[in-house]
Amino acid sequence: MTDSIDRRRFLKVLGVTSAGAAAVSACGIGPEPTERLIPYLVQPEDQIPGTATYYATTCRECAAGCGVRVRVREGRAVKLEGNPDSPINRGRLCARGQAALQGLYNPDRIAHPMVRNASGKFEDIDWDGALQRVTAKVREAQGKGIVFLTGAEQSTFGDLVDEWMKQVGGRRMSYEAFGFEALRAGNRMAFGTATLPTYDFANAKYVLSFGADFLDTWLSPVEFQNGFSRAHAFDAGRPASMAKFTYVGPRLSLTGMNADEWIAPKPGSEGLLALAMAQVIMSQHLARVPADASKLVSVLAAHTPRAVAQVIGIDEATIARLAREFARSGGGLAVAGGMATQAANGAEIVAAVNILNYVVGAVGTLVKFGADLGVGATNTFADLATLTSEMTNGRVALLFVYGTNPAHSLPGAFQQALGKVAFKVSFSSYMDETAAACDLILPDHHPLEQWGDSRPRAGVIGLQQPVVQPVFGTQPTGDVILKLSGRTGTFQDYLQAKWRARHGANFDQYWMDSLAKGGVYGEAPTRPVRLATTAGNFSTTFAEVPSWGGDGDQTVVVFPHPALHDGRGANKPWLQELPDPVSKIAWHSWVEVHPDTAAKWGLATGDFLLLQSKFGGQKFPAWITPSVRPDVLAVPTGQGHSAYGRYAKDRSANAFELLGGQATVYGGRSFIVRATASKTGEHQRRIATIEGNARDLGMGTTEVLPLARAKALHPGDHPFHFEETPEYAKDAVEWWAERQHEKAELGNYKGEQPRWGLAIDLSKCTGCSACVTACYAENNIATVGEELTERRREMAWLRLERYWRVDEHDNLQGAVNQPMLCQQCGNAPCEPVCPVYAAYHTPDGLNGQVYNRCVGTRYCSNNCPYKVRYFNWYNYAEKDGKYEAFPEPLSMLLNPDVTVREKGVMEKCTFCVQRIRGAQNQARLENRNVRDGDIVTACQQTCPSDAIVFGDLNDRNSRVFELAGNPRGYHVLAGLNTKPAITYLARVVAQDTPGNG
Amino acid sequence: MVLILALPPAALSGQQAQSTSSPSSRYQAPVISDTGDLKGPRQPIFFRHDVHAGEDQIPCMYCHYSAAVSSEPGIPSLQTCIGCHQVVGGGSRRGLKGDTTAARAERAQVQLLRNAWRERQPPEWIRVHALPGFVRFPHMRHIKGLSTRQGVEANATCATCHGDVKHMTQVEQVSTLRMGWCVHCHMQNTVTRDCSVCHY
Repeated sequence: MTDSIDRRRFLKVLGVTSAGAAAVSACGIGPEPTERLIPYLVQPEDQIPGTATYYATTCRECAAGCGVRVRVREGRAVKLEGNPDSPINRGRLCARGQAALQGLYNPDRIAHPMVRNASGKFEDIDWDGALQRVTAKVREAQGKGIVFLTGAEQSTFGDLVDEWMKQVGGRRMSYEAFGFEALRAGNRMAFGTATLPTYDFANAKYVLSFGADFLDTWLSPVEFQNGFSRAHAFDAGRPASMAKFTYVGPRLSLTGMNADEWIAPKPGSEGLLALAMAQVIMSQHLARVPADASKLVSVLAAHTPRAVAQVIGIDEATIARLAREFARSGGGLAVAGGMATQAANGAEIVAAVNILNYVVGAVGTLVKFGADLGVGATNTFADLATLTSEMTNGRVALLFVYGTNPAHSLPGAFQQALGKVAFKVSFSSYMDETAAACDLILPDHHPLEQWGDSRPRAGVIGLQQPVVQPVFGTQPTGDVILKLSGRTGTFQDYLQAKWRARHGANFDQYWMDSLAKGGVYGEAPTRPVRLATTAGNFSTTFAEVPSWGGDGDQTVVVFPHPALHDGRGANKPWLQELPDPVSKIAWHSWVEVHPDTAAKWGLATGDFLLLQSKFGGQKFPAWITPSVRPDVLAVPTGQGHSAYGRYAKDRSANAFELLGGQATVYGGRSFIVRATASKTGEHQRRIATIEGNARDLGMGTTEVLPLARAKALHPGDHPFHFEETPEYAKDAVEWWAERQHEKAELGNYKGEQPRWGLAIDLSKCTGCSACVTACYAENNIATVGEELTERRREMAWLRLERYWRVDEHDNLQGAVNQPMLCQQCGNAPCEPVCPVYAAYHTPDGLNGQVYNRCVGTRYCSNNCPYKVRYFNWYNYAEKDGKYEAFPEPLSMLLNPDVTVREKGVMEKCTFCVQRIRGAQNQARLENRNVRDGDIVTACQQTCPSDAIVFGDLNDRNSRVFELAGNPRGYHVLAGLNTKPAITYLARVVAQDTPGNG
Repeated sequence: MVLILALPPAALSGQQAQSTSSPSSRYQAPVISDTGDLKGPRQPIFFRHDVHAGEDQIPCMYCHYSAAVSSEPGIPSLQTCIGCHQVVGGGSRRGLKGDTTAARAERAQVQLLRNAWRERQPPEWIRVHALPGFVRFPHMRHIKGLSTRQGVEANATCATCHGDVKHMTQVEQVSTLRMGWCVHCHMQNTVTRDCSVCHY
């Protein structure tokens, strides 16, 4: 017994030992001195440790060409922000742009060149060996067909590829899964030009979209959203007005749900609606119609509202009303595009909408030709179909693939054709489906690691510069091609030489200025267009709703996912965990089913439906929603990867499988197919949605005002009813307020303090969710994965709540989106229940959360009426842990100004307190006070519609103070007496009594 | 090779303030024959703050150049070291006599540095002052606040937390760097004690 050592004594011995060790090394105080500090060899000139440096470059996540500024700390890119100098995005950025960082630091990047060996497996190869192989293969394949396939690539890099292909007798082709063939063909038909114009949403007085999802995936979403919110927002500052937005389409997309009115005609009949509206406008002289439009009279005469009402399923009166509204607004802008028009008669739909624009005089004023958007110069789907058949017939001996993944978006035909090509080379930096089918992979640098430029439109050239050292052993494809074509120098030299050729005089200054600004930002002159002779040549089948061909009794619309797009976003956990703005589903795919259809089939949300078209079949869990026509099923693309890294692979189903490989008459792809739908009997216990979540209150916390009422508001009005404090509680509330007042005179709380606040204009918010991803990036928020999202354990400090909006007939008209985040209550329910004072009130009015104090009782979360507190159920930062959120090198993008939280700790929105403290520090160094506008929260910074304003509510000259006093302003759950610091400004709806077809 | 001898303005003024003391009263760093008794962790190169900051009176912010403008003080790059040690071979300061063991030992340490520079292998310094990950300590705010309050030049404020580094042969931690120690100073100076100023 005496030899046994009890636990207490054991600890004592242990204590002495470690104390002894500490005494030797560091006086026994503080942490063990094991951290290493590795100095620079040479200090980079433009970097100060602990201080961020910003570099201007161009976002390459889509073809829009937004300018970005990259925040670099100690050599790591930690955040992307929009470049305010860029005329395209004006300093804003979308969720996909924010997530570009996760492409840079993706743990599944290909680190070095790989070659397929005799047994069909990839093995490493060095760069020299790889290049020798390519050189040999090029020599071998000369005259037998060499093709270099890129994505939308209007750039100096594209020019280099063209030069090289000319040199070796090959050709370059470009492919985008969501091309704009219908738009191009429709423009050719109506105006004789197959180019893509720009659209001036900001100056529109009425926006009418025929399926064009201009807020999420159509052409240039950030630019359009910024313009749209200027036109569509209700601004009490000037004579109150707003442009009405009507959406025409079979399902509500992110764009559609922002509509004031939703018209859902039979899919494929949108063009008839446009013509009927044009007919009404012409015959009733509702607008100053250009003289040459008279030649359309006979065509339009066949499309009176009466003649088409039956086919499109909208009553005559509604058509006439829409025509009147549109024409009388004096600034109507109609746009057509998106998946609803990407079918058999897509080009004609666009041509019809062009005619509608033309008769109201929008062409040349709001629709401006001359910019020739770069994405309009990609090859058509028909060209790709031709390439596919050439490959199948062995007429392509050598194929290079760069910046596109056709094996995913064309799973059947292209994948098989790839097998017939003798040698395939991929430049992908990720093991996507196409790379996996290639023989040699020469991984490219990420766009943030290399030089380049892009020409998204005439007059604008975005310059791209390396902002960090390469993360892996990749090489820029530009350099590789220069080497392969036997030239000296790097792609940087090549790029500069090309720029020098354009601008010889004083080039060095010009170059430095362009680098600092992020590019050359000019505006192309508007090119006038007239109606072409073909404008009215509608085919005979145009008057009928297309049958879509094929078997099956269901019409299935395949649409691009707003975040994952054609699937390229699927390897980024931020985008996977970002709930789709409409369905609120994350991490997997779904099929949208109308409740009437679901009732007929006995279908519940989560039941799997097998969709079988003549091209392929796929299973999707059903999401039952009123936001889709009863005779239409809709599925998003983006998921269903068979490769592309840990976040994308084997996740849900690929909707592209349902589509055919045949081009339409105008050279596009049909995204509407006929299919049969059958229940599989499988059921997903919970689909990973945050809709209906306990967090998503569903308590009607949004306020909506009809336009007429909003216009009648005067300063000081309080149009919203909220629950008064009941009589019996008044004493208690008063007592509490007095005690609070007394405490506000103590210690730090004494004297004048700022009170940080936020104003969120729901009239501007579109629900695009860019703020959510920006918040993840700024605040080191962990992504938790599908399993934990299903269990409601996602960590989004800022979430978008989507509430459907119905008219008096209970017809769905759209949605109101409400960003929900910590309200930083003045009278916070979370604070008094914390047993360890981890949740407390800061002198500047924040609800502080001290991580190192928190013991994880979760009382605060229970007591929070807004449900905006998030608990770390696991250690998401644990290396190789089951739920690791930042596997190497993803951890490199962690913001060093923000603590990475551990298991057992509660967290929530801090109002970007690190930015507040940073601005305060800077102001103090400059011997001044913080000015209004110094502090910009991450959500505010990225918001494409400028819906969020941050500032000091105690500063009577601040923007947020002004907005907080707006009569449209209200607090969520104000009756609880929580005194939130966030003021929401009610959504204004432009139509009092919309009718629905 | 470019010799970096230009001093940042803050460092310059600091040197001028110090150079008013007469050479005779100048501190002379001791000759060390046994490093075993020294406090603080042993570093890969026996870099002596008492020689550089004490005897040679190089202002703190000549090397830790970002301390007054940024939250991080900055660990000098090897280029900063070699800027002087390209020429200065060590072992020739006042206290050392000729080709003694002590002088050779000091020269050997400079040689380590030169080797590191030549081989492009920066030394891995052992961190002496470490704060947990959930604490933010903006150096610039403290330097600004202390120098304003005490009416002293920026380089004179470092010792408040780091102790008399100028006279340390091997740097050791003298303050606990614990929260009570921080708060004590904040109370004495009647500056904020709000949690969210340091913890976020």
